[in-house]
Amino acid sequence: MKIAFLSESPADEAVLRVLVEGALKEQPTVASAGYRARGWPNVLQVLPAVIRHLHFNTDVDTLVVTGDSDDSPVHTAAHDAPQYYHPHCRMCQLRAVFRQTSKRFPAAHGRLRVRRVVGVAVPALEAWLLCGVEDSVNEAAWTEGQARGILPYTRAELKLKVYRTERPSLPHEIACAVREAERHRRDLRRLEYDFPGFAALLRDLREPISEIS
Amino acid sequence: MTNLGARGEASHGARFRVIASVAFRNFKALRNTSLRLSPFNLVIGANGSGKTSLIQALQQLCALAKLPLGDPATVTRAGGSEISFTFDAPYLGVIARLGCVDDAVCDLLRVESVNRADWEEVKVGLATMRSYVFDHAAMAAPAPRDSGARLAGDGSNLAAVLARWQREAPAAFDRLQAELTRWLPEFTGIVLPEDAGGVVRLGLKIGDAEGPVMANNLSQGVFYVLGILVLSFDPAPPAVVCIEEIDRGIHPRMLRAVRDALYRLSYPAAMGETRAPVQVIATTHSPYLLDLFREHPEEIVITQKRGHEAHFERLADRADLAELLREGLLGDMWFSGILGGVPEES
Repeated sequence: MKIAFLSESPADEAVLRVLVEGALKEQPTVASAGYRARGWPNVLQVLPAVIRHLHFNTDVDTLVVTGDSDDSPVHTAAHDAPQYYHPHCRMCQLRAVFRQTSKRFPAAHGRLRVRRVVGVAVPALEAWLLCGVEDSVNEAAWTEGQARGILPYTRAELKLKVYRTERPSLPHEIACAVREAERHRRDLRRLEYDFPGFAALLRDLREPISEIS
Repeated sequence: MTNLGARGEASHGARFRVIASVAFRNFKALRNTSLRLSPFNLVIGANGSGKTSLIQALQQLCALAKLPLGDPATVTRAGGSEISFTFDAPYLGVIARLGCVDDAVCDLLRVESVNRADWEEVKVGLATMRSYVFDHAAMAAPAPRDSGARLAGDGSNLAAVLARWQREAPAAFDRLQAELTRWLPEFTGIVLPEDAGGVVRLGLKIGDAEGPVMANNLSQGVFYVLGILVLSFDPAPPAVVCIEEIDRGIHPRMLRAVRDALYRLSYPAAMGETRAPVQVIATTHSPYLLDLFREHPEEIVITQKRGHEAHFERLADRADLAELLREGLLGDMWFSGILGGVPEES
């Protein structure tokens, strides 16, 4: 398996690498270039080009993409219904970009298409990092808070809890983030249960690669 | 502690913290505007909109603060240009006013202070202020060994500064070198050979290569990176640092490291440092750098120019800021014109 990551920062990519390795129980080959987006909605803007590049110019078979939900509607099971598309749900948006970009691609490099692995952290990646440490931090609590109009925590509070400062340096951010991700590596079940946006990423990762038969 | 370290926080003045505000009247394009200054300030705006004028005003304050105060009767001229400064606690009672002979040259300083001793302490802090516009060609030049007390405004004594740190502040030198090799992993260290005449040259070791790459063969961006790192790891930093075009010559992916380096100055505790904070005023034209301040929009200053008149706005003062941050990237919004701070089009 050869994997590429599209993330917003080296810290995000480091976390995703740990979590993906934990899910696969092995160390995949990672494409040397770390692909970067500058945040939402830039990830939507660069994603088609990244998919196209990986499909035609590389032998990468899996692209892992995550985004923060921020204040957008959280993806629900109802969004997974056939033909359903929520225009403001970031999971739906990312999946749609994959679908629309690669639907007319001819097979290349021994596979029909680059496998899509998409997750959305609600409301931010730091919530995943606090899973199991802060019981009140989970996707259901955020969704309920959105419905009531009273959010249980802010993204800034989550970051402060993980990094212990409002202005972490990148090395410090990576160190803190990887330390928390390593907690999850051996057993991802709590993260999967508390964060359906991560569970979706795992489901994608378990899908077979569409090799040319 | 090294000799360099001994010049450190004490040189800020006993309690000097930051310049709280600056107000302009009839100074160049800044006809009637004021700005609250934070510990860290990133100034964006069109060319000729007043970013450099802000820094020039601060430089002039620092230059005049070293001289005897002017006669109040001569400082204020009817309808003349004036720039006034206030200071953070404990110097809330101090107001410094620059009087100008025309709308560009301010050469007289008047100080209003309840307590004369307060101004004396402010002066000590202001005397350490440094302003930088890095020049890669000057930075590549060999420098006399004894010229390395402070990095020059254009960075022209870079080699001498590094050589001095290597001799007198090895801990700071090692930290800078480690950070340099993290930013630019193709390099493995700094070399500073000195000739018989006491002139120091700069080179960087590269991987397993036999000899170092000397300054005349290094890229422009390497010098800008070194300049930023010298400021960031200075064992005796000034109280106030102004840096123009902080993103110049640096790859967009490295701008996070640039931001971290500046935050090391302004928010030392966040980086595990124990020294006093340094007030930073930096300018940029990079939307990519601006993107990195999404979580701290209060640190962004936009210079708005309409016709021949310019004024300052704090991004955090916008009533619709929350909506803007939900809708996209700050850099994109700046480029689009939503935030202002863009050139006028004919």
